[in-house]
Amino acid sequence: MPFDPHFIARLIPALLEGAAVTVELAGLTMAICLVWGLLVALAQGVRGPLGWIAGGYIQLVRNTPLLIQLYLVYFGFSMAGFGLSGFASGLLALCAQNGGYVAEIYRGGLQSVSSRQFEAGRALGMRRWTLYTTVILPQVIARVIPPLTNQSIAIIKDTSQVAAIAVMEIMKITEVWVETSANTYDVFLGAALIYLALTSIAGLVGKLTERRLAFAQ
Amino acid sequence: MKEFGPLIHGFWYLLRGAEMTVLMAASAALPATILGVLLSLLHVFGGRLLRAAILGYLFLIRGIPLLVLLTFVYYLMPLTGIDLPPFWGVVLVISLYYAAFISEVFRAGILSLPQAQWDAARSLGMTRGLLLQIVILPQALRLAAPPYVSLCVSLVKATSLVSIVGLWELTMASREVVERTLAPFQIFIGAAAIYFFICYTLALYGRHLERRVLVGH
Amino acid sequence: MEGTLNDASSSAIELAPTRQQRPMLEIVGLRKRFGVVEVLRDVSLAVSPGEVVVVIGPSGSGKTTLLRCTNLLEEYDHGTIMIDGEPIGYRIDGRSGRRARMSEREIARARERIGMVFQSFNLFPHMNVLQNIVAAPVRVKRIERRQAEARARELLAMVGLSDKATEHPIRLSGGQQQRVAIARALAMDPKIMLFDEITSALDPELVGEVLAAMQQLASDGMTMVVVTHEMSFARDIADRIVFMDGGVIVEEGKPDQLLFGPQTERVRAFLKRYNDRYRI
Repeated sequence: MPFDPHFIARLIPALLEGAAVTVELAGLTMAICLVWGLLVALAQGVRGPLGWIAGGYIQLVRNTPLLIQLYLVYFGFSMAGFGLSGFASGLLALCAQNGGYVAEIYRGGLQSVSSRQFEAGRALGMRRWTLYTTVILPQVIARVIPPLTNQSIAIIKDTSQVAAIAVMEIMKITEVWVETSANTYDVFLGAALIYLALTSIAGLVGKLTERRLAFAQ
Repeated sequence: MKEFGPLIHGFWYLLRGAEMTVLMAASAALPATILGVLLSLLHVFGGRLLRAAILGYLFLIRGIPLLVLLTFVYYLMPLTGIDLPPFWGVVLVISLYYAAFISEVFRAGILSLPQAQWDAARSLGMTRGLLLQIVILPQALRLAAPPYVSLCVSLVKATSLVSIVGLWELTMASREVVERTLAPFQIFIGAAAIYFFICYTLALYGRHLERRVLVGH
Repeated sequence: MEGTLNDASSSAIELAPTRQQRPMLEIVGLRKRFGVVEVLRDVSLAVSPGEVVVVIGPSGSGKTTLLRCTNLLEEYDHGTIMIDGEPIGYRIDGRSGRRARMSEREIARARERIGMVFQSFNLFPHMNVLQNIVAAPVRVKRIERRQAEARARELLAMVGLSDKATEHPIRLSGGQQQRVAIARALAMDPKIMLFDEITSALDPELVGEVLAAMQQLASDGMTMVVVTHEMSFARDIADRIVFMDGGVIVEEGKPDQLLFGPQTERVRAFLKRYNDRYRI
């Protein structure tokens, strides 16, 4: 496979366009999941039917593949009448799936803060709000940053699956270019490099955030 | 209920797809586990060069989506002239992919053991091989069992991706039925239910294992 | 035949005094640094067979490192360590004075003769008490399992835990675990026992049973090096007390001498601080 500079010159912008879509999709998913996951985690802590529904939701999305969820939303909804675009379907499915995982991360973070911290705060005479915001929350935040960083990397990788519903992100563009040219290696190499770059950046951002927050403590 | 007619008619076909899914997952899980345990030992005890190589490998797997790797191998295989049946091609890729994650899980298990366990074993005159065999690895395996089962569930879900490169398993089977019956909602829900059954059972077994096996900890 | 008998008896007569003269543990000029910090600076110590030496001192003084170097859980940079006349860890080439590290196998062999008990996480949690004790004798010394188990039960009886043979460590109290750890170390028939602050992590009411076991061991004639904070115990059990600070042995002497009439200011200061808190 000759290293064809003309080809590369045409390939890079195309891949970067795909990367823009990937970043948009992953970014929105992460942002939405941070909030949605928190809501689900809180709901899960509530006794009664709300807690069960939240728990059931988490089990459901954790034990079914993202691809099936994608197909369900994309094809299922269009058949039902309110068809969503590939991007919107992808966003919905990604948020549904990762929301469950993020909820679990929050739950783990909260549980891992020892109950002694609660007791110590109360013994010092803190009221609930102060206790939560100054003692518990900072610790929970510090503990959830690493798994959330991992989750964001997983989300970036998950976006590749929306190629299956014709969204022009990196994977889909790779597919198209591989079909229509002979430089298979170059295309895949380009795609791999971009994904590596994106996931590495996400990892770095996570580490920096961790350090910043640990410092603030 | 009659709306679920297409699902009921196609259900047997879906089940056959599920059979293939399970077969594929099991075929990939075994080599992935063996390789993963091996890699974890090499990572912990290996020389600088070996560890650097393993770190490079982990970086690639962590940063590149499985779908990209699967598609790459799909296009690459005919070009290299290696006559490998597609089934084994994807099983190979999935194995190599999950071996990385499994190795990290086992490595974490080994490293989480207190130094005193190593000290006690060595001070009793055990050589490294013996202490690994009867002190460290039994405990590390037990500690790694819960996250390992999670990875197995993830592996089962990952088999859905092979449908994108044209291999037949549950997801592909459900797409075929949808094409025939034009009832995506019902069919994909059916497929989701089957996946849920497989994965949830696995997860429950994992929790049971966790309780039984973490006796002394 | 007669000749052999004579030889045997004469060599027996010769052997006895030599055995008693030779120290069980001999450390000469030990030096170790962790990075830039010199943790042990020129430490020398000789322990006679059957002697109980207690090492005291502030944290960071190098006491634990000293123990850990003795059975080569830590490498040391300079000096020699001999157990019953055999070098541990490194051999010095008589002529060049350079030292060569012993092989892993030789070191493992040497460790069989040294028993060590640690502060915590001693026992193997995935095995029950009996399995913990017989694991090394069976797998390392290749003693037949039934024989090893019989000996294990003897040792358990000695530390007063005969009824716990099939329990897992997690079901035992800290004091019971440490007593099992002592039995496990004894199962390898060591010539010397090292104790690294084995009661420090225990709840106070469990300390007594462990100290009693150690006291028993001492009266049975075991050579022991004990690092501890328990001053009254030190006074009861020690033949000699050694005070370490800043990586050197500052003073050593008989318990009553050192504890009640120390020569050096550092020891006085340390004991005063201790007295203010506990009263020996």
